[in-house]
Amino acid sequence: MTSSGGLGSESVTQVQILPAMRRLSGEQIVRYIPSIVVGIAAIALGLFVPDFFTARNIINVLMQSSALGLMAIGVTAVLIGGGIDLSIPSVMALSGIFGAMYMRAGGHPVLAGLIMVAVATLIGTINGFAVAYLRMIPFVVTLSMMYVAQGACLWVTRAISVPVTNPAFVDTVMAKIWTIPVPVIFLLLITAIVTVLIGRSLHGRWLYATGTNIRAARVSGILTARVLFGTYVFSGFFAGLAAIVTTARLLSAAATMGEEGVVLSVISSAVVGGVSIYGGVGSPLGAVIGALFITLITNSMNLMHVSYYATLVIKGLIIVTVVALDSLRRRYKR
Amino acid sequence: MLRSSRRQLSIRDFVLSYGFVIALVLVFIVYAVSTKHFLKLTNLMAILHTCAPTLIFASGLALVLMTGKLDISIGSIIFLATATGGALMTRYNVSPWIAFPVMMLIGAVCGAINGFVVTVLKVNPFITTMGSMFVLRGIALTVTTGVLVGIPDFLTDFGSARIGPVFVDFPIALVFVFLVYLLHTRTKFGRYIMAIGNGEEVARRLGVRVERVVFVAFLLSGLFASMGGILSMAQVGGVSLHMGVGLEFTGIAACVIGGISLFGGEGSFGRYVLGVLTLAVIENGLVHMGASVYAYPFVRGGIIFIAMYADTLKSLVQTKVKQTIEEPEPTGVG
Amino acid sequence: MNRPFLRMVGIKKWFPGVQALKGVDFEADQGEVLALIGANGAGKTTLMNVLGGVIQADEGEIYIQGEYADIRTPLDAAEHGIAFVHQEMALMPTLTVAENMYITRFPSRLGLINYKATKERCTQALARLGIGLDPGTKLQHLSPGDRQMVEIARALLSEPQIIILDEPTSSLTSREKARLFEVIGSLKQEGVAIIYITHLLDEVFQVCERAIVLRDGEVAGGGILKDLTYDDVVRLMIGGKEISPHFGRRTAHIGDAVLYVEGLSRRGVLQNVSFTLHKGEILGLWGLLGSGRTELARAIIGLDPIDTGRIQVRTDGSMKAIHPQEAKNWIGMITEKRREEGLLLPKSVKINVSLANLPALISRIWPLIDDKRETELAEKFVNRLEIVISSLTQPVATLSGGNQQKVVLARWLQRNPPIYIMDEPTCGLDVGVKAEIRKIIGELADAGAAILLISSDIDEMIGLSDRFLVMNRGRIVAELSAGSPKDKLMAAAAGVV
Repeated sequence: MTSSGGLGSESVTQVQILPAMRRLSGEQIVRYIPSIVVGIAAIALGLFVPDFFTARNIINVLMQSSALGLMAIGVTAVLIGGGIDLSIPSVMALSGIFGAMYMRAGGHPVLAGLIMVAVATLIGTINGFAVAYLRMIPFVVTLSMMYVAQGACLWVTRAISVPVTNPAFVDTVMAKIWTIPVPVIFLLLITAIVTVLIGRSLHGRWLYATGTNIRAARVSGILTARVLFGTYVFSGFFAGLAAIVTTARLLSAAATMGEEGVVLSVISSAVVGGVSIYGGVGSPLGAVIGALFITLITNSMNLMHVSYYATLVIKGLIIVTVVALDSLRRRYKR
Repeated sequence: MLRSSRRQLSIRDFVLSYGFVIALVLVFIVYAVSTKHFLKLTNLMAILHTCAPTLIFASGLALVLMTGKLDISIGSIIFLATATGGALMTRYNVSPWIAFPVMMLIGAVCGAINGFVVTVLKVNPFITTMGSMFVLRGIALTVTTGVLVGIPDFLTDFGSARIGPVFVDFPIALVFVFLVYLLHTRTKFGRYIMAIGNGEEVARRLGVRVERVVFVAFLLSGLFASMGGILSMAQVGGVSLHMGVGLEFTGIAACVIGGISLFGGEGSFGRYVLGVLTLAVIENGLVHMGASVYAYPFVRGGIIFIAMYADTLKSLVQTKVKQTIEEPEPTGVG
Repeated sequence: MNRPFLRMVGIKKWFPGVQALKGVDFEADQGEVLALIGANGAGKTTLMNVLGGVIQADEGEIYIQGEYADIRTPLDAAEHGIAFVHQEMALMPTLTVAENMYITRFPSRLGLINYKATKERCTQALARLGIGLDPGTKLQHLSPGDRQMVEIARALLSEPQIIILDEPTSSLTSREKARLFEVIGSLKQEGVAIIYITHLLDEVFQVCERAIVLRDGEVAGGGILKDLTYDDVVRLMIGGKEISPHFGRRTAHIGDAVLYVEGLSRRGVLQNVSFTLHKGEILGLWGLLGSGRTELARAIIGLDPIDTGRIQVRTDGSMKAIHPQEAKNWIGMITEKRREEGLLLPKSVKINVSLANLPALISRIWPLIDDKRETELAEKFVNRLEIVISSLTQPVATLSGGNQQKVVLARWLQRNPPIYIMDEPTCGLDVGVKAEIRKIIGELADAGAAILLISSDIDEMIGLSDRFLVMNRGRIVAELSAGSPKDKLMAAAAGVV
């Protein structure tokens, strides 16, 4: 676009306003894709699966997705900031194991829950410190932590699952308020709260800025190291919450809780939910919707007797495809 | 733009680059002193024996790391290749002269797919290889229907063949690494890899065909992984369900310890061998110290953390000219 | 008949909103060392980028040895025998000298690199330039001067007939400079045409024979250097007019000191920089490319580390020492590269404008940002700066350069810090927007802000600044008062004071 010299600024900006408006709607459409996809999937399932749209089934699905949803919220914060956290499921497993072992030794259920959250948050702090202050590469740091935590799980339990039998713990967590299980209510509440906070709070703004352009954020006075550190602590915390829900639901804590398929589900939930790997884009609400979607897909595949391994393949493909589309979109926009 | 003047090779640089050798020696001494059987010849030979497959399969990963990218799918590539090869040989009585090339072909094709997604679709290599890690493993598990695959006897014999006290496969692996060393230091391709690792844009400006080189690097990574897998299969005597799990982590740990920077552009195959050896020594010693098998990932994780931290320090200290050549500003400046 | 070896005829180049080259005729002969001079923004690098195939001219032709040369890419330029040694060197630190030089032209046998031959050729190529470097040394262990020699040696491998050197001495010691000049001398002997882009006049007179001066995208003049004096050249660079257009700058009301910097140093970048900035004052930080002005700004703000130095700002009535990391609480920095460091490109105007002032926008009811207030304030500043947008939610990436810069300004205006550091605030913008922004800067100072202004536009500096500090190679070399004539400023910056 070469303009001949001498024209004022007006004509240049006028020319640019029109494409801007066109681009605006394109961007928004892309953002709503996950909800659209989930909507379509839900309708499709509703047609094929009997009793799909009953309250009972919906609550069931939400219940199944609750742990995944919590972890997806956690990873969303990290992703928005431009990083990644692969260790979340393993950390969930490890903290769940510690809490369960504590209860097995006669500990108080509330304390057990606190232990789970504390252990997970602590590991999150280690991740955050390595990434934000030691300036290590997030992918490799959290990948290592994933293996370490997984190894720790096996080491501590000697590959035998730890039963969770403390009735107070299980009953409290799995209680129902007006026939809706606590974890579901909790998930819905916390999704709403976190979404609003990340979207409208000071720290949330800082987070989006850091993930969009860390240099510009720094120049504007944002303490980007602190922000990044916080995201990993956040994801650790949510891994701990997921541990509480999962151990209560499964009535046990085992190293398999953090197996490879889970991290795939977590990342694909976020990615499908519109959270960009590259940072600066996405919301926890989208990630939770993504978690619902992934859970639905997993359920459908189970119903269709698709092997577990095939579901891994499909989830992997989903991630790569969505990220590839995101990549292309970014290149095209420039 | 004033630049800093000539940099002296400081003590700090030396420690960061060769610190692991010191650590190796120390660890060696500690093990030798505090255990009964570590220092025996049979044990030392056993260490070399276990190194052999790693030397081969991680050498391709090393090449990818040197370009500044990452490949965490090698474990799954090994699994897919060996499971297929093992099944061909035992269930379908295919001659190894056909099975081996098939395995290598599988490795090369998987690597090529990775390369394609990274260079043509321009997806982030972390995500790409994470995706293929799961996709390939999933495919392999579906195809082999989760049954332990055996291998023909002659292969098992080869796997434990010896000349005197020395296991045959170690010298073979050394020869292989030597060939890769030649590839790295004596061919244009090898030098292009280092050029890209120093700065992709600079290399492109100088006329290096970046996409082509990166593609081949991923292809070789897959190919060498399958070759290492053959050896691993021979040693173990079969292909288990968990074949290859975590091997990418071993590979990364060995490379990073051996001085191959995760940021690209650094590393030599001499130190690479030492890195693989160091890792093997540490793990072998753990067994003699009575540590549980489950402690391995834990220790490995700790080692990789330290090694990565040293790597990060090194890359911050060296003001690496990882610059983008100034795109001419759309201004009249200059 | 002596036909010039290289002829560029009628070169015109437009960038959005700006005409960088307005019809430039340029000639160079074999075996001559030709200086291409001009102030920042005059068009030197643009012209050479056209020659080097980095960008394409909108109008005009290039003739080499009388024949039309169609140069669209760097490869075309290389084929026509043109080598361009850029200011930002294209080097690979962990590879050796020989590898850097021969990376795309290794002598090889059956796919294997013939290192012996490479080393021999490399030594020869370096010897040609009188350099005795060991081809096996890794580039990261060489000084910048040596690295540049390697870069030049590489450029020579293609046996070019024309070599363009862009600010070749910006990171050289005087000994290395001397060696460079020797090298240029020997190249001259071999009949290579050398185009030497620089601002540094003493070098021009030392090593070049002829000079062409560009000003505002046009050839202002030139000639054989033996027949010219410094003053002649400076006058050509800045134009014959003595009085520069004023921007209606008022009489300044300069108050107490608000920022005090002492002894700021960083090895190789800044040397013992000290100055004071006062309320209501616009302090112009002047100097040429590479003088360290941006580095100084970044060091004060804490974006880059410092080795020694103290910074004090006025808080609650008295001067207090602060750490550079805290500086952002009092200082608003408008960076040079608005796209890389100033804006969140995919985000909306509203979000960008409020970025520095978020804590003040928190609602009283709950710990969230008050959307209404954010919108109100954004509108207020968008209107005040007359930013042309279709909606506040429009992504900033879709705005023109001028409006983008105004968004950055609006961001800090909203925060209203006592001190501003502005690095090239009107760079790359068209005349109308430049004037608007300059007016705003003046108004800010009138309202009591203290502004450290970095600019390459001498008219802008003179029109706005109350005082000048001149930097060269990381040191402050002169302090000049308002009303200093242009040529004195130029000379001070060129190191000819």
